[in-house]
Amino acid sequence: MSPTSSSDVLIRKLLSISDVRQTDIDVLKSIPIQEKDFLANYDLVREGDRPVSSFVVLDGLLGSTKHTGDGKRQITSFFVAGDIPDLHGLHLSVMDCNFSTLTPARMGFIRHDALRAICEQHPRIATAFWRSTLIDAAIYREWVTNVGRREAYTRMAHILCELIFRLRSVGRIQDHVADLPITQAALGDALGLSTVHVNRMLQELRRRGLIATTGSRVHVLDWLGLTHAGDFDTTYLHQRNPAV
Amino acid sequence: MARFFFDSGEHDVVIKDQIGIECAGLEEVRRVGFEGLIDLTRDALAEVDGQQVFVEVRNENGDRILRLSISLQIKLMR
Repeated sequence: MSPTSSSDVLIRKLLSISDVRQTDIDVLKSIPIQEKDFLANYDLVREGDRPVSSFVVLDGLLGSTKHTGDGKRQITSFFVAGDIPDLHGLHLSVMDCNFSTLTPARMGFIRHDALRAICEQHPRIATAFWRSTLIDAAIYREWVTNVGRREAYTRMAHILCELIFRLRSVGRIQDHVADLPITQAALGDALGLSTVHVNRMLQELRRRGLIATTGSRVHVLDWLGLTHAGDFDTTYLHQRNPAV
Repeated sequence: MARFFFDSGEHDVVIKDQIGIECAGLEEVRRVGFEGLIDLTRDALAEVDGQQVFVEVRNENGDRILRLSISLQIKLMR
């Protein structure tokens, strides 16, 4: 099921959110992408860095993170295959957050000069990239709402819905079963919850028959029920074909 | 490191922790339990006089080793 090349992963994502055409796809296929594997909990980019390339997630799960003055970590968003988490680095030279792997992951690095050249020559691709960062921003807005105002149970259900919907829309999962080897601590950092409460909320979702878990595998038993529990409306993900 | 299980509840309704959390020692168990109690309080404490919410910790053998609880008192002053 794994796509054949790193540019395919990128193209699949851009097709799901924009109207790039065959000529653009040919251009995207010619972009040099340097692949690299990482272990979990590795900081690819740190606050204050001045990267000369951006990366596309090829496999695994990544988080954008910030730390408070007293060292507490907040995960501010997840990124899945096809996402280009630090694309804003193309225009904002100093990174204002960290990007850390949450699971073992593979990334594809694209040099900024190559991205700039393509955007200058191919406006539809530039628009697709712009759209990608706009959707990332929409996801951040949703997360602020989630962490700030939703109850813990809703919060947990919401984040599971989002992950599964996003993994489905880029073809990484076919149904509602996802392998999510994220630690409970990372889930807590994404939800602003203690690990104890993360466990309680997962147990509550299981008890109500919405999910089943086996190890790191999350099986959604009742997708509609989970979307209701999670106050989950896909509008903010701006998919062209919200087929889930 | 050992695994501890943080059951949590209100009144008699207990949700058993089936996943558990790795902790380095009792000090950490206590800290982790307390953080859990804060979240639980925010989530589950209702406006009911005398309501209690609690976190109860088991070790891997199933022995209960710690209980943290908080209860609400509402008193009409006149």
